[in-house]
Amino acid sequence: MKRRNFIKSVFGASVVAVTLTPVSIMAEDKKAGNKLSYAEAEKVITGGKGAKDSDKIKLTVPEIAENGAVVPVKVMVDNPMEEANYVKAIHVLASKNGNSRCADVMLSPLNGKGYFATRIKLGGTQDVVALVELSNGTFIKTAKSVKVTIGGCG
Amino acid sequence: MAEKRKSMIKFKPKKFKVGDVIKVDFIVIHPMDTGTKKNKKTGEVIPSKYIDNITFSFDGKPFTSMKVWETVSTNPYFSVNFKVPAKGKITVDYTDNTGEKNSKSKKLKPKG
Repeated sequence: MKRRNFIKSVFGASVVAVTLTPVSIMAEDKKAGNKLSYAEAEKVITGGKGAKDSDKIKLTVPEIAENGAVVPVKVMVDNPMEEANYVKAIHVLASKNGNSRCADVMLSPLNGKGYFATRIKLGGTQDVVALVELSNGTFIKTAKSVKVTIGGCG
Repeated sequence: MAEKRKSMIKFKPKKFKVGDVIKVDFIVIHPMDTGTKKNKKTGEVIPSKYIDNITFSFDGKPFTSMKVWETVSTNPYFSVNFKVPAKGKITVDYTDNTGEKNSKSKKLKPKG
């Protein structure tokens, strides 16, 4: 009798545990490696060095995004693109998305300008961050807030 | 049977000379599924399927590479600048997280 009750309670508990975990979270857990917060992502990208705010970066995003699924982002860095001094990479991040990273763009002097544009998904109102690496190994950044009326992550 | 166009490369402006810095736009048909959405009819999670790597090359030599995440919009748009060195071909190679590989090329024809 005791053994049967024990098995019942263990089995019952595990059944409850499985039904309480939404499938979407289980699917996300598999991708846990990609779910970095902005702070974690900045550490990874800059190798722990961090980035200084800079007005050399012109970040263009809408103040209000009607549709969070398609938010235009444009980054233009005021910096030469010569062999000795160029914009090495532009990283676009979203401060509050489950995965804060959107795109990492590795450039070269042949680009002519430190420019990148794309459209991203924003799950809600948050900052879009442009984190830029220069060829001398320094990192600079700038951020702008976007108000989102309808979240774009499903 | 003609293959459905999966992507497009656009140069802006359309007319340019050697030495000009032009915009290279790359637009691609791709669901960019995040893996967190459910099929409304079946309740099953739609698995993630998103472009994760893109390389832009000029006459076979890469000049821009991108690592892309599922947070980029469906049917994405990517734009970079390019300083025209000579007549040649721009190729964009892209892969997604399921291993699917695609490529698109466009001839670069500067005037003068």
